[in-house]
Order: sequence, then C-alpha cells, then structure tokens
Amino acid sequence: MELIAAGKTDTGIVRSNNEDNFIVDEKRGLLVVADGMGGHAAGEIASKIAVSVISEHLLGRQRFFGEYNNLYSPSTNNLNSALRLANSAILEAAASSPQLHGMGTTVAAAMICGNRLTIAHIGDSRVYLVRSGNIEQLTDDHSVVNEQVNRHLITPEEAANSLSKNYLTKALGISADMEADLSELTLLSGDILLLCTDGLSNMVTDEKMLEAIMLAHKPAAICDLLISKANEEGGKDNITAVIGSIGKTKWHSILFNYMAFLRR
Amino acid sequence: MVRVLLKYKGAVVKEVILRNQVTTIGRKPDNDIVIDNQAVSGHHAQLIKNSNDLVAVEDLQSLNGTYLNGQKVANAELYNGDIVSVGVHTLDIFSDKKRDAEAKTFAVRGRSMDETVIIAAGDQKKILSASDKRAPEILGGFIVIEGSAAKKQYELSERVSVIGKQEGSAIVLSGFFSPSIAAIVNRRKDEYFITPSDGKKLKVNGKEIAQRHDLKDGDIVEVGKLKLQFYLND
Repeated sequence: MELIAAGKTDTGIVRSNNEDNFIVDEKRGLLVVADGMGGHAAGEIASKIAVSVISEHLLGRQRFFGEYNNLYSPSTNNLNSALRLANSAILEAAASSPQLHGMGTTVAAAMICGNRLTIAHIGDSRVYLVRSGNIEQLTDDHSVVNEQVNRHLITPEEAANSLSKNYLTKALGISADMEADLSELTLLSGDILLLCTDGLSNMVTDEKMLEAIMLAHKPAAICDLLISKANEEGGKDNITAVIGSIGKTKWHSILFNYMAFLRR
Repeated sequence: MVRVLLKYKGAVVKEVILRNQVTTIGRKPDNDIVIDNQAVSGHHAQLIKNSNDLVAVEDLQSLNGTYLNGQKVANAELYNGDIVSVGVHTLDIFSDKKRDAEAKTFAVRGRSMDETVIIAAGDQKKILSASDKRAPEILGGFIVIEGSAAKKQYELSERVSVIGKQEGSAIVLSGFFSPSIAAIVNRRKDEYFITPSDGKKLKVNGKEIAQRHDLKDGDIVEVGKLKLQFYLND
C-alpha cells in the first residue's frame, strides 16, 4: 500500500512551549506522535528522543531489543523493540542530568508493511482509523479513567467529563519494564489513519474529527483543520495531528521507484 | 478537588470525590466509605477536609492502624499521590496539593503546568498488574450459513473488519455487483457492532438496518448473497 502522509504540531493557546514531537516517513510507512512531560525543557527532550530513537532503530540494521513475541508479526516486533530502546534511551538521559530527572513521554506509532498495519502505543496518545465514513479509535489510553471504564466502574460519558483524565498509568521513560500495547490490522485502499496527542482528542470529539477529515482532502490540509478546531475549542494543550492516507500502490509509482533504483 | 481511589489488591473498587468536610472509613455500614473486611475496624479512620481543600487522615484508634505511604500515622496531611492503607485496602489520593519535590518518597510527575501526572511506580504497578490480569479479550465472528464463501467460519480479531469485495476484506464477497465495502464490523473489548457502508443493503435478523447494530450471539446477518450467523466465544 502507498502512504501519503503529513503531520503538524501546534503549541495551542494556553501553553508557552510545545512538548509534542512527531515523525512522518512516507517511504518507510512510519508515523509516530509523542507527547512529553517533565519540568523545564525535559518534556520536549523526552518526546524528541522517543521519535528519533524509534525512527533510527527501524532504519538501521537493528539489533532486536527484548523478547520476541510470536503472537505478532516481525514488523510489529521490530516496532515494539524500537519502543523498548526509546524507553531505555529516555531513562538513560534522565539519569545523566538532574534537570531531566522524571521526564517521560507518551508514544503512538503506526507502521505500514504491505497491507498490514502495526500499532504500538503507550500513554494517552491515540491512533484512529477512518474507513468508509466511520471513525474508530484503535488504541486504549493508558489512563486511570480508561482503566476505570474497562472495569465498568464508570461509563464512557463520565470518563469524557472526568477531571482525572490526565492521570496516566503508563508512559515511556518511567520504568525499565515498560511494555507497550500492540495491535495489527489489515489495511484497505482508502483508509485514513489519524495519530494525535491528547491536545486534539481532549478538545475535539471523534465526530468532529471525522467531519474535518471528510471535509479536507490532502493530509496536510486535514492536519491544519484539526489543529484549528482544537484551538477554537480552547487549545488547552499542545496539539499534534498526523494523517496518513492509504492508497493502492500505482503502477507508475512502481515504475518510478524502479527507475530511481536503476539511476543509483 | 480531592479524589480518592479505593483499591483492593491493586484493583480499583471505587472512586470517591471528597465533597464533605468529614468522610468516614470503616467496616460498619454507617461509614461514608464502607470497607467490608475483617482487618478494618468498625469506625477505622476519617478524612477531614479544611477550607483550603487540604485533606488530612485521622486514625480513629483502629485495631490494625492506618498507614500513610507505609508508615503508621495517627493524623497526617495528605498530598497528591499519597497512598493510605486501611487493612489490605488502599486509598490513593488525587489532590491539587502537592508535597515538596524533595519530600516526596515516590515519584508523581507533572507535565508542565502540572497537567498530566504519571502514577507513582508502586501504584502504577498495582494498576498495571490489575489490568494485565484482565480476562483475555473475548473474540467472536461469523459462521457462514448460506452462500459460498472461502471459509465456513470467520473469527474477527481486528478492531475494524470489512465485509465486501475490496482487497483486504475479512469476509470477501464475490460477484460482479457486490459492493467493495458492504459493511464494517467493529470490535471493542468484548463487544462487536456492525454498520452498513453508506447506502448499502444490510439485514440483521431479517430487518434492514441503516445504523450501527450491536451484535448479539446468534444474530443473523444477510449481506450480498451471504447469510451469516454471529457468534461470541465463551
């Protein structure tokens, strides 16, 4: 499958600095968003380390990190390994400087391999799938509120209004034994992926996000629209949106790649 | 505002928002937070809120004592991230009031502006282990009753699956006039629901549906030339 993607990040209206980071790599089919936390500039550093370590780990001839899980495909395992590496990189950086002590970050990562999608996430950054006019959240937030919903202690409606939405149960850089949630999905031509930080999902409802995605066409235009909607609603946090549009690999692009290959 | 999560062996039992000046904790039913456990005294302890929204815990001369972050206390102020133990139950405190960073015995970290907080390692473990012990997800799918399909049974493990002609569909429809996407089946935890694709014909239990339908074990779905029965594994 061919990926056409774009990403945008915005500080929002209330915050003075942006602690979000993202990576969009159409060629390798990799999309990542990260929302950092920690005093001073530590949050920005944590999310930056996360996206760059994940990207570099997947680019290079990687040494596998941690245990291989046979329930998942090799690419899912590679992505998981990249998140583990990012986790230890953040822990290491935090240990090296008292100012960085305590920093952490969420991560939501999607990787496309053929017609298979791999998702790994930790924290409350999300991956959504828009398919045939419907939007579906593919990740379960690692937040106290969501854990309560899972145990049927509160309803999803109560969760949306809860004040303790910002309590995370998992994040990168907090402990050495972090494990991300993994999932896989078969992609169809026409699917649209949205990765975002809570600055978007806490401000804009799923329905309104869907409206924006259906309204704008180009990924970059969708990102702009989503961010402006989040700011209209108050922009209380940093906002990051990454849009990936999935299409069939066209014959001319195969030819083009082949030509590019010959020219090397 | 101060919130308390009552937990038993790491699993959240309930969430309490402290609205009153005094919130009593004990085994007897006249308490505000009733903990029906032999390790808890009839009137074990109480949480007292002052006008500044600062909460303190006071032990009511209980038999087994009240502990704050592992230390026995008679009376102590509570800050965000504190854990109060009463018998084998714990009360996790979520408050705007934070202990000085240096005095903290365990890490509760704030995103800038004190927005997002990661639950302390010990506490986090409890929540995590509780969530890991969550029953494995219950899967379901369709059995083909009528019509020709590649398989007799389709288990749908992905979050969003498609019934249609398009490449990548979980249940592939054949035939020239079949829609590329006829319907979408979503899986959320142990629940499945089906939604017809825009303007496409879909029958559930003999009735045509236009909106999302929550699937129940045994539902009959008719799509294209296929008749499918939904099942949910036990």
